[in-house]
Amino acid sequence: MKIVVAYKWAPNPQDADVRPDGSVDWSRAKNAVSEYDPVAFELARRLADATGGEVVGLTVGAASIDTPLARKAALSRGLDRLVMVADDALAGADGTRLAGALAAAVRTIGDVDVVLAGDSSVDVAEGQVAMTLAGELGWLGLNAVSGVTAGDGGVVVERDLPSGVATLAVTGAVVLAASSDAVVARVPGMKDILGAAKKPVEVLALGDLAVPATEVALVTLATAKPDAGARLGVVLDGSDPAAAVAQLVGALRQARAL
Amino acid sequence: MDFGLTDEQQLLLESLDELLERECSESYIADLDATHQPPTTFRQAMNEAGFGSLGFPEEFGGTPSDALTLVMLAERVARQGLNNGYGLELLQAKDILEFGSAEQQQEILGLLAAGDVPFALGFTEPGAGSDNSAMTTSAVHHDGVVTFNGTKTLITNALQSKYLLLMAKNPDVEDPRKAISMYLVPMDAPGVTTNRLEKILWHISDSCEIFLDDVTLPESCLVGVKGNGFKQLMRNFELERLVIAANCLGMAQCAFDDAATYAAQRVQFGKPIGSFQLIQLKLTDMAIKLENIRNFVYKTAWMVDQGEPLKSQGALCKRYSAMAAFEVADEAMQIFGGVGVTIGTRVSRLWLDLRGHRFGGGTDEIMVHIAGRQIVKDHS
Repeated sequence: MKIVVAYKWAPNPQDADVRPDGSVDWSRAKNAVSEYDPVAFELARRLADATGGEVVGLTVGAASIDTPLARKAALSRGLDRLVMVADDALAGADGTRLAGALAAAVRTIGDVDVVLAGDSSVDVAEGQVAMTLAGELGWLGLNAVSGVTAGDGGVVVERDLPSGVATLAVTGAVVLAASSDAVVARVPGMKDILGAAKKPVEVLALGDLAVPATEVALVTLATAKPDAGARLGVVLDGSDPAAAVAQLVGALRQARAL
Repeated sequence: MDFGLTDEQQLLLESLDELLERECSESYIADLDATHQPPTTFRQAMNEAGFGSLGFPEEFGGTPSDALTLVMLAERVARQGLNNGYGLELLQAKDILEFGSAEQQQEILGLLAAGDVPFALGFTEPGAGSDNSAMTTSAVHHDGVVTFNGTKTLITNALQSKYLLLMAKNPDVEDPRKAISMYLVPMDAPGVTTNRLEKILWHISDSCEIFLDDVTLPESCLVGVKGNGFKQLMRNFELERLVIAANCLGMAQCAFDDAATYAAQRVQFGKPIGSFQLIQLKLTDMAIKLENIRNFVYKTAWMVDQGEPLKSQGALCKRYSAMAAFEVADEAMQIFGGVGVTIGTRVSRLWLDLRGHRFGGGTDEIMVHIAGRQIVKDHS
């Protein structure tokens, strides 16, 4: 079984600053494997180990995603090899264009049975790329995946949906977006890190790939903080702690939180 | 001069950060300290991720590594607030991997993998410590066995260890350097008894006296060459001092970070105490000391990696790091004021544990003894 892990080399949120207006300053953030993607690496490795398969990492983006550190960081997470498309023509590309580039790369890799991805990237967090990739490939796409194991002629996929947990048998090529808590991803160990530089890396030229032309232009007109819902805005006077606690308990009871 | 990290060092530190976040939270450390328990589950996780065999030869499943990487990892674990959480057990195990029999090697590697401290180092005696010539614990070889008699004291981690790496003397040999041999003695061997020593610091590491009364074991308990015990023990002492210094650095950094954060939040006279110049002076001098310790530790590790003789460097580094780190923690306590001395605060634990490093692994004064005579020798 050939499994591709589609991941993003993205800014590390630990280094990000949130401005007073709610916008995020990523300027000082160092890049890392996007925070929600190690789950996909882990599921892929377990599936490959169970089936004797191969795990191929795949990432696309601006030329800056191809550094020795970026390669080793991905390869130390259980990949057998890595394929990259690193071209400044993809700098700032929207999810649809990235999915198009990923699809073209998956076709070039060839004979892929499963593509696994995190449910969204940590910086953009739109959660669209995996399902758009499935559409580009003409494959089945499933999100909210909490588990995947080998099945009879395909895979058995577990989805954790608001309505409950569904277990599905899937035959044929499939794109799976793993929920961020599907499994606890293993931490890259000493040998994984020191051995990463010895694993094969293939850099595909964007110009050689059959990436669909983007016919729709996307421009962000405005952003706003998420709606925090109706807030009561109750402020308690803390000068008398005992009275303030009593007021707090009373307010919580009134709101039926207690 | 390149002060940057290699890709591998950066990725190792990131991996370690993930492990620390999952397996070594502040509440976990505080619980261990309160209940006087060792960090076994954290060590297991470290071993599973391969950190437990860093620097071991590959035939033992280890990963070759440089000293600089080792001290950076030790520093990072200590920065979490965990005292002696990583590094020293590896150096001790190397004594067995280098000099022990195949049977001893397998036994020690198995214990390490289980997250246990494989053995305690039985060196100090009531009448002998840094003065090893005064050691009186005897090892008498006869009829294919060896019989031990004597008392060891202030032995760290012996109560949680399966073995004691015992240093004992052949009473028939006068030269102390040729009289001492190294033995791996099971702590449950007949004739071994212990007396726990309660102390005010280093709660995750037990301390005890060990009494050896006619403890008789097969001669196969000998580690390495008879009469070479002292030389074998000294083999990793320089690195041990360096790891202790890295441990001091990490814990001092932890105390500094806590104090600086507290200074930015604690309001007196209508503003954060960090806005007062007397507090800023403290933080500034603490930051300078941390920078000095870090440079000293990294430079010394770099010298080890270059194969340069350390001469007095290891002792100088250990002395300075232990003293300056404690000064940093002491000023952190001052910034916290009364809050700092309440039971359960991290800064109070760091202050106590760092105080222990001014004698653990060799006192400040012994470091002068070691470095001073070397300095004079170099200029004679």
